[in-house]
This record gives sequence, structure tokens and C-alpha cells, in this order.
Amino acid sequence: MVRSHGKRAKSSSRQKDAIQAAIDWGIDVSMLSDNIRRSYAERIRRHQIALDTVDKLRKAKHR
Amino acid sequence: MSDFSKLLERLVAGGVDFVIVGGFAGVVHGCTYVTQDIDICCDFSPANLLRLQQALAELHPVHRMTPSRKKLALTEKTCKQLKNLYLDTDIGQLDCLSSIDGLGDYRKVKQASQLIDVEDMQLHALRLDALIESKKALSRPRDKEAILQLEAIRKLKSEKRSHPQQPAI
Repeated sequence: MVRSHGKRAKSSSRQKDAIQAAIDWGIDVSMLSDNIRRSYAERIRRHQIALDTVDKLRKAKHR
Repeated sequence: MSDFSKLLERLVAGGVDFVIVGGFAGVVHGCTYVTQDIDICCDFSPANLLRLQQALAELHPVHRMTPSRKKLALTEKTCKQLKNLYLDTDIGQLDCLSSIDGLGDYRKVKQASQLIDVEDMQLHALRLDALIESKKALSRPRDKEAILQLEAIRKLKSEKRSHPQQPAI
């Protein structure tokens, strides 16, 4: 039992580190947090908007 | 201009058996980066690949890795020689893979997938844990940020499950 608790605690601490590791890398975790509250369809729709913007900027650069 | 929703709609309408994997699966799970293509793992049986070809037919699919961008023209015989297909279409790039590092063949990938509702479609996408596993198996420096985002998302989701009605600060 003790061993199993230890394992859980270790896993939890590893997961806690996941947030800090993302922040340390420069990832805006609040944006991830906002995103996971959205539906799958909304995440895909917003990605499409971002992709369209990237395409437009790329084309403008080559004009 | 790419339109990933329309590309996926075509595959679903065409009865193609596939699972969304790679960077776009990360987007489905909440990653904030922008990806230029859709990666799918699919059943590489001739019947399924011919359905895929039919589903994309009006989008002028070509093999984007060939110098002359050869038109996609699969036959039952040529399907049997394929392991991956790297395509470009009028509405975006589509990479079709027969297996995924760290997970295995299509059957195993499908077992590691979840069904998601996107408007009127039901799609199979790789589950978060399996996606992290597959990205780690590739050991590519360019996946580092994706893995960090996915692991942070896993943590945020587990916190949300533990405190489902936490008031906003």
C-alpha cells in the first residue's frame, strides 16, 4: 500500500512539473487552459483561422 | 488555401477508415501551435486506400514528395506496395501513415484512439496519452514543444477532473 501511494505521489509530482516545464519553455499555459474548455470543433475552427493568417502573411512576404 | 475541416469531411463522407494522429491530433487536444498538414494513420488495405483516393479525387491529389508531383493514381496492385502516402490537395496537405512509432500498426493505433464529435462528424483521434507516447518515440527536437504542451494539457485536465467546479479567480 505504502508503495502504491509513493508511486501516486511521484506521478502527481511529475505531472505538477509538466506545468512548470511548459512555463519554463515559454509556453502560455493560460492559452492551453482556455483551449481545453472549448469544444473540439471550436479548437479546430480557431486553428483554421490561425493557419489562414499564417498563409496570408507568407503570401504577402513573397509579393 | 488549406481547409482541414473540409478535408476531414471528405474522408468521413468517403467511408475512409482513419485516425487523426501527429500535430493535428495535438490541436484537437488543445495545443496552441499551427500545423501545416494533417497526419492520419489509416488502414492500408487496397479497399480503404481506393476509398481515400475516391474521396480526394475532386481535390487533385498529388504525391508531394515526388519531384514531378505525380498525380495520385492508385490501383489495387500498387496499393499493396505502400507504407505511407504524402499528399498535397487543393485544400491542404495530408500525410497517410500505415503505422505509428511507439504504438504500432493501424489496428493498435485505432485501439489507442477516441471518438470525437466535430459538428456533424464523428472522427477518431489518437488519445492524449498515446499521442504523447508517439511523439516521444520519435525523439525529434522539433516535437519538444508539442510534448511540453501535451503534458501540460494532461495535467490541466487532471486538475479539472479533481476540481470540476473550482470558481474562477
